[in-house]
Amino acid sequence: MPIHEKSLIRPENLVEHEHLVIEGVDVSGHWSTFIEGRSITDYNEAMQEEIAALPGGENIHRCWQCGSCTNACTVNAVNPEFNPRYWIYLIRLGMEEELLRDKDIIWQCVSCNKCTYACPRDVVPEAVMKATAHWLELKGHTPKSNSTIFDEGFASQVIKTGKIEDGLVLRDYFKATGQSLTQPWLVAMVTGLIKRFPVTYLMKLGIATVFPDKTRKWSKSRAAITEYVEECEAANRKALGLDAKGTH
Amino acid sequence: MSKPVLIIGGGPAGLSAAHALAAAGRKSILVEKEDRLGGAPILSGYAKLVPSHEWAKDAIGAMVTRVYPNPNVDVRLNTSVQKFDGTPGNFVATLKDGTQIEAETAIMATGFTHFDSINKPEWGFGTYPDVVTTTQVEQMISSGKGVRCPSDGRVPDRVAILLCVGSRDRQIGREWCSKICCTVSANIAMEIREELPNTNVYIYYMDIRTFGLYEGEFYWESQEKYKVKYIKARIAEVTSDGKRLLVKGEDTLIKRPVSIPFDMVVHAVGMDPNVDNMTLSSVFDVKLNRWGYIDRANTYTTLAQTSRPGVYVCGSASGPETIDDSIAQGHAAAMAAMTFQNAKVTEAAE
Repeated sequence: MPIHEKSLIRPENLVEHEHLVIEGVDVSGHWSTFIEGRSITDYNEAMQEEIAALPGGENIHRCWQCGSCTNACTVNAVNPEFNPRYWIYLIRLGMEEELLRDKDIIWQCVSCNKCTYACPRDVVPEAVMKATAHWLELKGHTPKSNSTIFDEGFASQVIKTGKIEDGLVLRDYFKATGQSLTQPWLVAMVTGLIKRFPVTYLMKLGIATVFPDKTRKWSKSRAAITEYVEECEAANRKALGLDAKGTH
Repeated sequence: MSKPVLIIGGGPAGLSAAHALAAAGRKSILVEKEDRLGGAPILSGYAKLVPSHEWAKDAIGAMVTRVYPNPNVDVRLNTSVQKFDGTPGNFVATLKDGTQIEAETAIMATGFTHFDSINKPEWGFGTYPDVVTTTQVEQMISSGKGVRCPSDGRVPDRVAILLCVGSRDRQIGREWCSKICCTVSANIAMEIREELPNTNVYIYYMDIRTFGLYEGEFYWESQEKYKVKYIKARIAEVTSDGKRLLVKGEDTLIKRPVSIPFDMVVHAVGMDPNVDNMTLSSVFDVKLNRWGYIDRANTYTTLAQTSRPGVYVCGSASGPETIDDSIAQGHAAAMAAMTFQNAKVTEAAE
């Protein structure tokens, strides 16, 4: 007999054997429809430890599931699937598979920090969301988000020269994310600038674009920052049991 | 000179009452049915007590030594009261060996009985050796042997503590909260994590009732310092897959059934009325309340009064009680006994 309420069951839990004979009876096709159990059969203690080891995840073990964070959440108000309380629980129990179902929305946290102020146990859910998104990236579950790509470009310029050049930040960002440089809003902004700015200022801007400015005597600072960043990244990767170096 | 006060039971409440009377210069006779004083914390081999973290044998031991020996306290071990006659001010108690004792008043500090987990067979006690009670874990710790699986002596990788075993359960007629088990379980969980840092401890709960100041020191501390995990689920069944125990229930926060392997399951057993309460009720002619504990006549004006004038009750004889509150009630009962002659006899409020 076919199962009528299949819509209530997760599709991956419906198992059908194309060819199956049980005790001489042919139950191929829909005759052999089975439903996999939905019981949770184990906890994975490593998961909480991994996320707790990343910056921002330190207080996750304090959570007592009151739901203040989700109730306060800006994103939850528009998307009920965005539920920090629930994800914290999944992480604490080590239910990786369940967490991965939501991997494409976890990064949508807007860091308004309303949860941080609502939380009675100082879990700092906003930071936990950041650590979780970071964990998903490091584990290779999600590609780098656009905001991460932007941050990386921004930071790499600062580390390299001690300064940023706005035009270069934008160009690098659009290139890395495969977006066209001739964005209508950007064209409009640049045209507006050209129309309104004094000529000498525009010339300075032009020179700076071709020869980006540098902070003098930056090399020592650069070396120190680079060393620190590498140390942090290596520690994060080690906490997750990944190689010290390498890309995800 | 007035007659002595008869105290029945040598646990924290009885010891406290005896000490209070002795300190005030009053004589008392302390009757204990076991061969030593100390009550449940000593007889059941408790480890470190809530909330002071002192070892039971030190903390309760100190209570014992201040009344035994003590010229004002006449301790009678290995005996019990068989008959209790007379009127307030002129009671006569007959002990097991026929000795008769005259007493002005009596204080019942007769305590409780640990819930017997056999009465919840679905949770595996008596079926699987690695299902134990909080009392057994206390003994593992206090004996210095450490927390080990009874089946083969191995260190457990994962321990589940089930709360409300024999409490808050209409199915088995236990319609009370035993008050202490949440805090005791949090304390035990911390002691397990302290001894065995690689052992993960999970507490399955319906509500957490680590009341008052226990919140921070036991509930929060167990989570924040010792990483004990609390799961909101009343366990349906404890079985075995042949190797490890399987704890089955519904994780209410994710609306999913769980069936998790554990090495050791600990029942946080509740406080039943003393199994002797029916006998005590008939010997002393005091009423029991609907749950089977010794009834108090009044909540506010005469704290320790039973239904029989001149007979007082303190500690867990009248309901689940903490050690420190039992001690306070022992003092209250002593005060009631000492002021007996001045007190008007208050009718029991029905």
